[in-house]
Amino acid sequence: MEMFLYMDKDSILHKLDPRTKIFIMLISFAIALMFSSLSLLLILSFLVILYGALGKVLSNLKRIRVILIMIAIMSVILWALTYPGTTRLWGPVTKEGIIYGIAIGIKFDVMIIAGMIFLSSTKIEEISLGLVKLGIPYRPAFAFSTAVRLVPMIVSTSYIITQAQKSRGLDLDTGNILQRIRKYIPLLIPVLISVIRQANILAMALESKGFGYSDKRTSYLEIKFEVRDYAFLAVALLILIVAVYFKFKYRL
Amino acid sequence: MVVLVALSAGIYAAVLIPFKGLVLIPGITEIRPANTLPPVLGLLFGPAGAWGSAFGNLIGDFFGTLGIGSIFGFIGNFMQAYIPYRLWRNLGLLKADDLEPNLNSGRKIFAYTVVALLGSFACALTIGWGLDLLKMVPFAALASIIAVNNSIPSIVLGIPLLMILYPRVKKWNLLWTDIMEEDEIQKPDAKARIAALITSLAILVGLFGGLMAAVAGGQSLFAAGFAGGKAGLASVGFIAGFSAIIFILASLL
Repeated sequence: MEMFLYMDKDSILHKLDPRTKIFIMLISFAIALMFSSLSLLLILSFLVILYGALGKVLSNLKRIRVILIMIAIMSVILWALTYPGTTRLWGPVTKEGIIYGIAIGIKFDVMIIAGMIFLSSTKIEEISLGLVKLGIPYRPAFAFSTAVRLVPMIVSTSYIITQAQKSRGLDLDTGNILQRIRKYIPLLIPVLISVIRQANILAMALESKGFGYSDKRTSYLEIKFEVRDYAFLAVALLILIVAVYFKFKYRL
Repeated sequence: MVVLVALSAGIYAAVLIPFKGLVLIPGITEIRPANTLPPVLGLLFGPAGAWGSAFGNLIGDFFGTLGIGSIFGFIGNFMQAYIPYRLWRNLGLLKADDLEPNLNSGRKIFAYTVVALLGSFACALTIGWGLDLLKMVPFAALASIIAVNNSIPSIVLGIPLLMILYPRVKKWNLLWTDIMEEDEIQKPDAKARIAALITSLAILVGLFGGLMAAVAGGQSLFAAGFAGGKAGLASVGFIAGFSAIIFILASLL
């Protein structure tokens, strides 16, 4: 089972320094947060999609489509029912509410897509090294990357335990959603205990390899800014400057 | 410690991810039974559990909701585990000679309920204030939803979970009191008690004062909050923001 979004492609995006991609992601968050205008958010969406297309990672949109659609639908429903508009369409639903709901849905979706593009084009170890180069201490960065790697192991452990209990007669497939959730809760305990037990082994493995011996570490993976990084950063900063200009000049 | 951070984060993320599709507030939060874990991780693994909760939430965000809110989510989830860890020994709810988080008495269950609630409120206050400041979601709506969404699982499921996990973790010498150096473990003295009281008071004032200011400013609680009033009220920013800074600083003392 492939849980992670990373896609191994030969693209310019994959060759960028992880710090460049972190900055571009943050800039797209900032621009999305600045505006609630539907047309401007659509322009931003286009730019973000274009950026993702450069990395050949847009096929991952399929994997997060449920979340994106749920967010869009919930946003339209929520704001259509509650936004204080004047053009009533049906009951409490207003035209302004629907438009605002669509805009907010796009705003959140575009941020999520920007995050997805970053994760689809950047390996976990690159993220970790990028964070270290940005000044995050090595230990938290290592803990973060180890945790990311542990997630599939934990999911796999829970799957094995679930299958073991099913083979002993536990019925997890009948009942309503609440009843099913209740049946899953006792399975949490052996999963947690099994995973915690492995902590000792992991700690010993780290110790035997001299983890924490020195604060200064070398890395097998090397990253550095190149011309393409400066070019991408320059374009992203230019877009940010234009967005800020429009925000304050035209009060958008 | 590093292993326990990774372990806590991995567990938290693994429980968070399957529920990402059950959206409560679009792009911000979903139904989160995983919120059972932060107070339990905080009480068992101490600061490692708190960092684990913060990283676990961030990793959970990687599976679909990574956004600017993830920054406040990181701090909020850290606090949801860190506050129970800090207050458990220092708030004065337990006998000084028995501070183990084993929930073997009504008094300890009551203390757990108090610290888990304060942790949940701290998380709600931090995230609610942060996203209101960014004018993304009104404080009254978000803080009330997060407070309830965090409190219910952390108490209903957290108590049996801690009762079951404590003996095993204790047996494997993985409790934070077993791992940290003797001189790193803060004694529950007068200074710690005062810091714990200030922390608790600031959380309660920040959350409920902020909610009152938000309602007075035209916002409404829960889902109705999306109808009444816009995010970014100065009064909410001041009360919730000031209190958040106070409780974070006091909890670090």
